[in-house]
Amino acid sequence: MVKVINQDEFDEVKNSDLAVVDFSAVWCGPCKMVAPVLEEVSEELADVNFFNIDVDKNMEIAREYNITNIPAILVLKKGEVVNSQIGFAPKDKLVEVINSSK
Amino acid sequence: MERYDIAIIGTGPGGLEAAITAKIRNKNILLIGNKNLSLKVEKAHTIKNYLGIPDAAGEDLTVRFKKHLADMEIEITEDKISSVYAMGDYFALQGADVMYEAETVILATGVVLGKPYPGENEYLGKGVSYCATCDAPLYRGKTAAVLGFSPKEEAEAAFLGEVCEKVYYFPQYKEPVELSKDNIEICMDKPKEIKGEMTVNTLVTDSGEVSVDGVFILRESVAPSQLVPGLETEDNHVKVNRKLETSIPGCFACGDITGTPYQYIKAAGEGNVAALSAVAYLDEKKRKM
Repeated sequence: MVKVINQDEFDEVKNSDLAVVDFSAVWCGPCKMVAPVLEEVSEELADVNFFNIDVDKNMEIAREYNITNIPAILVLKKGEVVNSQIGFAPKDKLVEVINSSK
Repeated sequence: MERYDIAIIGTGPGGLEAAITAKIRNKNILLIGNKNLSLKVEKAHTIKNYLGIPDAAGEDLTVRFKKHLADMEIEITEDKISSVYAMGDYFALQGADVMYEAETVILATGVVLGKPYPGENEYLGKGVSYCATCDAPLYRGKTAAVLGFSPKEEAEAAFLGEVCEKVYYFPQYKEPVELSKDNIEICMDKPKEIKGEMTVNTLVTDSGEVSVDGVFILRESVAPSQLVPGLETEDNHVKVNRKLETSIPGCFACGDITGTPYQYIKAAGEGNVAALSAVAYLDEKKRKM
């Protein structure tokens, strides 16, 4: 499951061994398309925590992580960004990006 | 929403032959492109090696292609696809105003001429963007350069002008620019390179440097890897095997987009192969269900 959080809850991301955060927005077409694919990936990778953040409502954290294009899917290992996927990607690619960060 | 068996993007010889072959195999197809087919075919002076039609002029070939389609009752949907999303079980195709769905996709959009700017690929997603409407709000109060390759991109620049503090607009066409907004500057110098550190900070032109937070590159035709996110390419061509399968299952490619030689008969031949591969893929998928 992909959990929708806001920037005040970001500690939950930082405290995860491995976390995937999808920075997105409601007006962004590719974000809308990647969401169900990421949901599917999250069902398969039970050992990874998945989050979604709306950049419109959480500008500060988007700035902190230098988000300039969305969707921006960041992989964080114990709070550190180790990998990212910018823009839509098919399921296999997302799995590869996440698994290669393990 | 109707889900087609095969969506074919492009109305050059590759796409048309793919449509004809798929139709013969009784598939529910969506052929997207231009009702006037292909400018590249129409403008051809004479084509000497098209089997059975010696010394065909492009115009003549276009008339014949149209008749062939009409005889087979194949219709063309006039639209421009900006993105093809591999959703796993199906593909979603983003048109100008509507979304289409198909089990398989055949890419026959021809070759994109022109190379990316130095720094473009490196900073893609780090300040380089192809979608103003997607990313504009992230540039609130910032400075952006827009490289517009057709006058219709002026609307995108104007949209960016509403959120950005400053927009530099570089028209990459000859028509006069009709943009008048205080914070949009029209620049006639030639963009050369995109530079930055973690993210973009500079656009280098033939007459100097411009400090920017982002560069929006809005081209007429999109590169294959941009059209289908996640697709493997090689020197701006789609990577395919002999069956014309791409790196994404269910997605096939034919014609100039797969690489040289850029020949009409080669494109048509590949269209035939791609369609039959798509049919085989659909049959296989059905068996597994």
